[in-house]
Amino acid sequence: MALEELSKLRDKIYTCTHCGNCKVFYEWGAGKNLYAAGCPSGDSFFFDIYYGSRGRSSAAKGLLSGKLKWTEGLAHPIFACQVCAGCQSMCEVDFKKYTIRTMETLRYEANKAGVGPLPNQKRFGEYVQREHNPYGDRHAERFAWLPKDLREKSSKKAEYLYFAGCTASYRQKNIAQATVQLFKNLGLDFTVAEDEWCCGSPLLRTGQWDLAKTVAEHNASLLSKTKADKIVTTCAGCYRSLKMDYQKEVPEGYKEVLKVDFNVPVIHTAQLVEDLIKKGSLKLGDYKKRITYHDPCHLGRHAEVYDSPRNVLKSIPSVELIEMPRNRQYAWCCGAGGGVKSGIPEFAMETAVKRVEEAEATGAEVLASTCPFCWRNLDDAIKAKGSKLKMLDIAEIMAEIAKKK
Amino acid sequence: MSEKQDRILRKLREIVGDQFASDEEHVLYPYSFDLTWATPRMPDYVVMPKTVEDVQRIVRLANLERIPIVPYCSGTNIGGLTIPEQGGIIVDLKRMNRIIEINTDVGYAVFEPGVSHAKLSAALKEKGYDFGWPVGTPSASPLALAVNHGIGHFSSRFGINSEFITGMEVVLPTGEIAKVGSCAFSDSWHSLFPLPMLSGLFVGWLGTTGIVTKLGVWVVEAPPYRDVVTVKADTIEDMTRYMIRFRKTYAADELTAVSWWLAQVPIPYPYQEKSKDAPEWFSFAVLRAWSEKELEAKRDLWKTAVKEEQKKGSSLLEFEYPPEAKRARTELPSRIIGSTKNYCGAGVAGIAWPGTFTPAVNWPKLYSEWKKIYIAHNLSPAVRVTDFKGSHYGMLRAMTPFDKKTPEAIENARNAMTKAVEVGIRYGLIPYKPPVDYQSLLNSKADPGYIQLITKVKDMLDPNHIMNPGKLGVR
Repeated sequence: MALEELSKLRDKIYTCTHCGNCKVFYEWGAGKNLYAAGCPSGDSFFFDIYYGSRGRSSAAKGLLSGKLKWTEGLAHPIFACQVCAGCQSMCEVDFKKYTIRTMETLRYEANKAGVGPLPNQKRFGEYVQREHNPYGDRHAERFAWLPKDLREKSSKKAEYLYFAGCTASYRQKNIAQATVQLFKNLGLDFTVAEDEWCCGSPLLRTGQWDLAKTVAEHNASLLSKTKADKIVTTCAGCYRSLKMDYQKEVPEGYKEVLKVDFNVPVIHTAQLVEDLIKKGSLKLGDYKKRITYHDPCHLGRHAEVYDSPRNVLKSIPSVELIEMPRNRQYAWCCGAGGGVKSGIPEFAMETAVKRVEEAEATGAEVLASTCPFCWRNLDDAIKAKGSKLKMLDIAEIMAEIAKKK
Repeated sequence: MSEKQDRILRKLREIVGDQFASDEEHVLYPYSFDLTWATPRMPDYVVMPKTVEDVQRIVRLANLERIPIVPYCSGTNIGGLTIPEQGGIIVDLKRMNRIIEINTDVGYAVFEPGVSHAKLSAALKEKGYDFGWPVGTPSASPLALAVNHGIGHFSSRFGINSEFITGMEVVLPTGEIAKVGSCAFSDSWHSLFPLPMLSGLFVGWLGTTGIVTKLGVWVVEAPPYRDVVTVKADTIEDMTRYMIRFRKTYAADELTAVSWWLAQVPIPYPYQEKSKDAPEWFSFAVLRAWSEKELEAKRDLWKTAVKEEQKKGSSLLEFEYPPEAKRARTELPSRIIGSTKNYCGAGVAGIAWPGTFTPAVNWPKLYSEWKKIYIAHNLSPAVRVTDFKGSHYGMLRAMTPFDKKTPEAIENARNAMTKAVEVGIRYGLIPYKPPVDYQSLLNSKADPGYIQLITKVKDMLDPNHIMNPGKLGVR
């Protein structure tokens, strides 16, 4: 049946009033109002169809009413979106909860209609099938970054299973290495699953749900092998997938699509460290830097984890944490998500450059985040701009200064 | 694609660049409808100029090709104003988004059509200044608001936002640029006076006489002391008498009352009977002052007005306003006041209104008529009345949610509201930001000389009838 999945959301889509709240970030208060661009695609492509949930619900209404047909042209605004949820944070009506799922369902339908995914996104789907990661690198080398002394511990029973994710395993190995160093410093009982596959995030975000089902089934089976009590990850994308997509029903997750038996606590490394700091278990060294923090969309708006990374940074002696004007639910996206970095790389870079400029304006020396994919795109922009900012994951900072008391 | 269509697109792209003009169906589609029941119509092109020269060239092209053009800022009006009745080119002005000047010495701001409420309010607030913020979305355009006689949060005291206009730069329907007001003679945008009120050629014309590319408005310093005083009443008669009494003081920046149905969040849809023990009307008055003493004096004026009415046997009673609502009313523009969530819920996403400008003395009779019409159509009479400029003129309108998923519900809403306007005209109601259905009704009741005059003016300014044709119901 044509538009079968989109039709299931029809009643929700028609709760979008077309009011346009989602076009800009706006918050109000007695002293100062926040006004800022909030939709990367609207800010780059300008036509109304590219603006936030109003634009995409229009597309959905057009398709559902038969007034629009799938074309490659229509696929562009559907895929030219990082699914950053900036629009969702501004939405005030019943559609709010369904904005992200509607976007991703439009992508699913575009794929079924043969106008999506974008060529590079299709390629990473193929790579995930073949090598279980979207980069197409050899699966056998997934844990090549893992120090030798930890290899022996892999896939053994432990309290925590560290889910490294594809970007930290193949591209930002610095983050994976820093994470395990940090865990060692903290004396954490952890293991890794050498047969870890892509969490499925890039597949879900680009509407390639059938492929995501396969990886979710595989990853769910890892738990029974390692018998870990909890999963910890330093990747915002993996966090969203494992915690929400695997475990929650529509609209927060894809449980009804993925149909995996997966009921395990999932925490982000920042939350783990915050908890240990609160318990007084950590000794933190000095870190004399001015730091600004970038909220990853998947950790921030998608999962509403805003305070943990900030609390960690604020706990470090000598750190000066300076907020960018757009922060927390109003954070500007790094530009990489939703398949945009592979699908429309120039748009990903344009978005990242805007974020780096915002970070530079704070006077910070370090741009910190909690997502390897944000790290990668923001660092690409830092290099492209010749910025003096240093890109760091909070795990990298903590690996350097955190010790168990 | 026809040779003509291809040619027009090519020329539009020559003007603004390839990425800023389109005739692709999916790009056009979101411009074909709005929040209301206004009949959707597809444009043929969308173009996004950046400069006033771009706008001139687009307008000249439209004249050459005899194709309609429709100015568009953010498409958030509740009246179908930017739906292209006869197709043509949507001129989406969102890229013209500069605040040109905020002059705090004189007290005016000059900005372009793509500037949003959010942007202007943030910039003004930095300087401690204020403009009349409406109940609208933060992305809405204050320029479009002012040139369409939009209301603001101090309209009860100072009048509606078009009364704040100090100057304009307009691209005429034939492509020339005209300046109106003091800006035509110097760089100062302080006033339209004492010149001929040429702004009248462009204000309230629903985008049919030109494209306003810059607007000057008075801005005022925001007083720091604020309060909201509230009363409820059993009847519209009691509420209207109170409002007329209190308006004489000019003490309130905003004096508004809402029916029980509008006080519900969201407005009940379909119609729901009011519980018998609940009062039917609730009023809030926003008081602002430069000192606690001045604020107290305003409170005293209000208390006196309430007591006088109570002595006459009115059902008026004071009540507590929720703190969050008070905060929202005194710190406009907020995200709470005017959010469509206040109107639409439970799967209902259409919103429209009949109204608006109606003399206060006629509110009770008209409300009574509207209630009958609304209940007969199974819709809630969620009515708001507001004094403008001390009630020299006033507003009565019904915020009306309806289900946009079914043609029957849309038609039902359209019928109820059109009927409400038809009845309203008998009581002096003039619909504002009117959809074409209301405009046709209004024209049918108009003095022939009025129609003749606006037709002449329209012909003079727009000889090829390219500017938003069909909206005014003439030409």
